Amino acid sequence: MNGTTIGVIAVVVVLIVDVVLLLGLVTMKAVNRRRAQSYKLRRAAYVATLSRRLTSRAASEPIEARAAADDAFLDAVIDMRNIVTGEEIETLAGIVDGLGLARRQEARLRSRFPLGRRLRAAVSLAEIGDETTATVLIEHLSDREPEIRVQCARGLGRMQHTAAIDAILERLGLEEPWVRARFADTLVGFGAKATWPLVAYIRVNLRHHDNDGVVEAIRVLGVIGDREVGPTLAGVLRVASDPEVRIATIEALGVVGGPLAIGPLKATFRSTDWRLRAKSATSLAHIGDPSVNSLLARGLEDANWWVRRNSAAGLASLPGGADLLLDAVSSDDQFARDAAAEALADCGALAAARERQEAGLTNAEDRLLLAHMSGQVLT
Amino acid sequence: MGTEGETKRVLVADDSDTVTTVLVTALELEGYKVETAGNGIEAYEKGLTGDYDLVILDQLMPGLLGLEIIDRWKQEGRQISTIMLSGVDDDRTVVESFESGAVDFIRKPFRIPELLARVRQRLQA
Repeated sequence: MNGTTIGVIAVVVVLIVDVVLLLGLVTMKAVNRRRAQSYKLRRAAYVATLSRRLTSRAASEPIEARAAADDAFLDAVIDMRNIVTGEEIETLAGIVDGLGLARRQEARLRSRFPLGRRLRAAVSLAEIGDETTATVLIEHLSDREPEIRVQCARGLGRMQHTAAIDAILERLGLEEPWVRARFADTLVGFGAKATWPLVAYIRVNLRHHDNDGVVEAIRVLGVIGDREVGPTLAGVLRVASDPEVRIATIEALGVVGGPLAIGPLKATFRSTDWRLRAKSATSLAHIGDPSVNSLLARGLEDANWWVRRNSAAGLASLPGGADLLLDAVSSDDQFARDAAAEALADCGALAAARERQEAGLTNAEDRLLLAHMSGQVLT
Repeated sequence: MGTEGETKRVLVADDSDTVTTVLVTALELEGYKVETAGNGIEAYEKGLTGDYDLVILDQLMPGLLGLEIIDRWKQEGRQISTIMLSGVDDDRTVVESFESGAVDFIRKPFRIPELLARVRQRLQA
């Protein structure tokens, strides 16, 4: 066999392999397309059947037992649950129960592989699960797959299974940041029911220096907004040394602390850490008591830009604060002037001054502000 | 517009197949003749050319928003009795819907008997 023949054979072999691969690819695509079409049709048929069931109590059209094994049916049920409410949800729950849909998904979640199927089971249980499913969802809050843990927490939150709050909290400090954030979302969904478990978690873990979990728990308390935790958070601020914990606490106190938080926040506003001063300025303003105006006015001359900015923005939001900002525009301190002018621009005072200028109605403060914004300094 | 005694015609416009199927099934069981549109442009065009007694219009659809569709119909001189359907639960959308001329507003998720009662009421009015 000479070189030419070998070359020809090689080309033919390569061509045959290419054709076989191409045929395989085309066949696979056709099969997948057909599967997708079949899935879509089955799902639409299930939605129609379920709709008839929900619309007419007299409809006795049976749902075949094999539907329980069909993902198209599961998706149809989940979609339907999201668009109807009231008794229809109970009817759907009865159908899910009757077909043992949740039990089947529980078994899938408990199996070791494949991941896709287990994840799908977790998502499904998060949507269709009920109190009887809670145990398996709690069990899988420590699943090896983070997304499964997240879905299990979501499901427990959806069903408002309060016994799961402690189980979710136990994981809070162990999780990577994105999972922790999703757990926090779930805890927020529990609302005031999560308040005291969160407080207990913070008290216990603050001593053990589980800072990531504690910071997240404090943030959750701030979002839930239950004012009863104000004194607890003020106590955390007194004893905590970790800056992240203190910053989260200061932020939460701005929401839930009320007037009683002003004292502790005034103290942190004098901190040597600029992050604490900046956050305190925002929280003090958030409480809405103008008695802090003079303190925030001093913040305009702070050495740190963020503290100046937050103090100015805070003053702009408080009654009487705009007057102090206008005074600061003529301050000797250039940084204070800039911070005040920026806040006045943000709150609309600059636009109002320009309107008055166009109408020929400017006052002394307007002229001062407009001059500052155009780079001039009036004295 | 369909006359007394004739089967009433309803257009259901929603980009969700599930919502459309649920509404079509429920409305057909009530005896209405139902057509569907899966996006804003299709809904707008069907409203111009069709002869519907009622339109159930989703607010958030690709192509055109529900409120935009009502405004365009008005510009074209079409007065179509429209029930807005929306998952957006803010008061502004509700107010804007009524100001645009919608006769009713239904929030998702909805109760099927309640939706049918509202449709019945509108078609008897």
